[in-house]
Amino acid sequence: MANKSSQEVPSILGKFGEEIYEQIMKEESPSIKIPLRGKSNVFFDDNEKVIQLGDKFSKRHFLNVAHTKKFMQTVLVASYCRRLVEENKHAGIRELYYALKHTVEGSKENTFDDQAESNPIIEDIETALDILREELNLTADRRGYIYGDIVLKDGEDEFNASKLGRGGWAVPGTVEEIDFLNVNAEYILVIETAAMCDRLIEEKFAQANNALLVACQGQAPRGIRRLINRLHTEKNLPVYVFTDGDPYGWYIYSTIKQGSMNLAYLSRRLGVPDAKFIGMTMDDIEDYELQKVTEKLKDMDKKRINEIMEYEWFKHKDWQEQMKKCLKLGVRIEQQALANKSLEFVAKEYLPQKIENEVFLP
Amino acid sequence: MSETKVKHADEIFKSFKMQSVSEFFKKNAAMLGYTGKLRSLTTLVHEGVTNSLDACEEARLFPDISVYITEIGPEHYRVIMEDNASGIPLDYIPHVFGKMLAGSKAHRNIQSRGQQGIGVSGAVMYSQVSTGKPTEVVTSTGDKVINKVSIKIDVEKNAGEILSRETLKNPEKWRGTRINLEAKNLQYNRSKYGPYSYLKMTAIANPHTRILFVEPDGTKILFDRNVREIPKHPKEMKPHPHGSSADDILSMIKNSSATRVRTFLVSDFTRVSSKKVEEIEQLSGLDLDINPKKVDWEYAEKLVNAIKQITFMAPPTEGLIPIGADSVRLGLEGILAPEFVHTVTRSPQTYQGGIAFIVEAGIAYGGGAGNNGLDIIRYANRTPLIFDQGGCCITEAAKSIEWKRYGVKDENAPLTIFVNLVSTHIPYTSAGKQAIATEEEIYNEIRFALMDAGRALSRYLSGKRRASEKLTKKKTLLRYVIETSNALGSLVKAEDNSKIIKALTDIVEKKYDFEEANNGEEVTTVSEENDVEEVIENGQ
Repeated sequence: MANKSSQEVPSILGKFGEEIYEQIMKEESPSIKIPLRGKSNVFFDDNEKVIQLGDKFSKRHFLNVAHTKKFMQTVLVASYCRRLVEENKHAGIRELYYALKHTVEGSKENTFDDQAESNPIIEDIETALDILREELNLTADRRGYIYGDIVLKDGEDEFNASKLGRGGWAVPGTVEEIDFLNVNAEYILVIETAAMCDRLIEEKFAQANNALLVACQGQAPRGIRRLINRLHTEKNLPVYVFTDGDPYGWYIYSTIKQGSMNLAYLSRRLGVPDAKFIGMTMDDIEDYELQKVTEKLKDMDKKRINEIMEYEWFKHKDWQEQMKKCLKLGVRIEQQALANKSLEFVAKEYLPQKIENEVFLP
Repeated sequence: MSETKVKHADEIFKSFKMQSVSEFFKKNAAMLGYTGKLRSLTTLVHEGVTNSLDACEEARLFPDISVYITEIGPEHYRVIMEDNASGIPLDYIPHVFGKMLAGSKAHRNIQSRGQQGIGVSGAVMYSQVSTGKPTEVVTSTGDKVINKVSIKIDVEKNAGEILSRETLKNPEKWRGTRINLEAKNLQYNRSKYGPYSYLKMTAIANPHTRILFVEPDGTKILFDRNVREIPKHPKEMKPHPHGSSADDILSMIKNSSATRVRTFLVSDFTRVSSKKVEEIEQLSGLDLDINPKKVDWEYAEKLVNAIKQITFMAPPTEGLIPIGADSVRLGLEGILAPEFVHTVTRSPQTYQGGIAFIVEAGIAYGGGAGNNGLDIIRYANRTPLIFDQGGCCITEAAKSIEWKRYGVKDENAPLTIFVNLVSTHIPYTSAGKQAIATEEEIYNEIRFALMDAGRALSRYLSGKRRASEKLTKKKTLLRYVIETSNALGSLVKAEDNSKIIKALTDIVEKKYDFEEANNGEEVTTVSEENDVEEVIENGQ
């Protein structure tokens, strides 16, 4: 998937529209072909070690009442994006939603009732036309930040991400235009919670270990994932992931490593198959005597464990053991439970020891 | 005891006779339909209207009937009923209006309306009993004079007594009969048991009739004529041996001129050949050469038992005159103005082995059909059955059907179910003659007829549903046309969006016009009508 220039994108969108236009003028039933996303059309690519999109398509027909509204929405979004790119403007995906939301002429119905309706349409266009959201000049809300000795260039601005204060640099939704001017780090540590990242910043972990800290704040957003992917591939930095010891934390790890089912078409641009999992694991509970600070699993948690155990990319025996153990113990363990030892424990002992001895999960 | 003079039987029976007719009437008022204030009024109307319908049918005339009900005091009403039938010759007036149980059809094996009540003389009697007043009858056969008489029933003689008589000139050549009577202990309302409902039902089953009805508050209702054909007059039929009881045989013998039982069986029954008589003879061991007058109860019973074991040909059915599916349809359409009607006339069947009957059924849906929901209207030989709905074979059969399966959504659906049972002998549950007994064969026939009509209703309803779904779909599609076209126009930088709008509108219109041309059959293109978008595997 090559990057497309801002000249190419409008013509791809225009061609997409012209195909529909031709159908209408030929009095054919207008339809749009869109690659199917979601579980039924993804597979785990054993060679590349990422989740890939299959080759199933769905057809959206204007004359099928169940499809008509989505058909209209698709054309609306495509048309809006063409204008954005041509005018060299950027819009947030929520802005797009508001820009296009209006009452359908001659009815009481809205073009979009919720952003949850416009977001998947954007993904439809991305997959159907093989154009990235970023290339459509659409941005997502920024979430997550980076801290560490790296000099970045964003537009006119150049800065070192270790010199911006304790908050680090908030990573935008689009990082295609960012240049890495100088990188002085040995690895990237991705951290699930901002609180844990803040702890490590305060303990000067980045400086002491030559690490780049990336807080993903929950499920890693596209900007963060793309940034990690680029640093890994362009600067050869190993990636370690540090999350809570529960199915949600582990799934955050798997998304960073293999990509997600929903954005399977982007896995190669977003995934880091070489990423390694540092913790928390069920073994940590025994190894660091954290039995007193575990949390009981809820039914919902158990259900989720059973679900992800079935995913092909979690079939590795080490992971299966972790999950079985988790179900057996009936507990989960949070990153911050390490504070039970001492505040510095995580920065001074837990992480350095694990990295030193390479105690990772695959 | 000794002081008491022993009465002679003649004396006892003298007083018995004196009271007989009015006593009989009072004691049997309920059986005769005069029970309850509303029902009594309905019965009065029924007797008059039935008389008129029969008279017109016999004279081959299109009935024009008018019924006026006026309130003249508390629970006190005047009922005027007029027809255009052949009129009654002066000499017969006392006979028609004054003699109880004088029906010309009694003891005849013929399909008749007048199986209820005791005829119009009952109305005269009820009026007389409740007010003491005579009934006024105005009638002319269309000749030079109109006879206007006041008539009372002489209870002692069980005969009509003309109190006064007036002869009027008839320059207009008016023909018909007008009865004017008043009665007490009555009540009027529009419930389904009242005269309004009765007349409406009568009009449906007698679509060749025109009925004008004026209610006590002055409201005029016209149930107009919807069929230009006078029904055939039913023929008298000989009874079939199956279905005749010992009592039936004894009363038949009274009217028979046969001199031997053997000939009586052949001549007075249908489907009894001399070969069958031999079978009866062998089975019963009876001497069939005796004079029928000598037949006693025991003999008759033996005869019946033998007859039961023998197979006879099914009875002839040409004497049964159904209303006809077409006429029922016109009747329902004309009176209820429904959205949909389907009617069925089944072929003749027999019950109890030898009594012929025909079931006619109809379903009317929407418009004026239904009575705040399901309405079952029952008829026996075209006569509405108003009361005792619950215990009636028709009600049971109609309710046994799962109407949901025929697309009827709920109990509030505007549905009228019409059933007419045609037979020389209607098996009523009681002397009140308002409910039909559940004979298995009749019950099944009613169900078959209703299921048949139900299937037609189901087709109609699903077609209607499809049509409305289609319209909604078309509207939905058209609603998105402008929006989609404008967006597409700007995406391809078209000069004129209206061209796209027109082309896309045409595509939508064409799809639905095509479907309409295909008789509502939905033309589905690939993957249409699925919520899920069509999935295409690559390489397929």
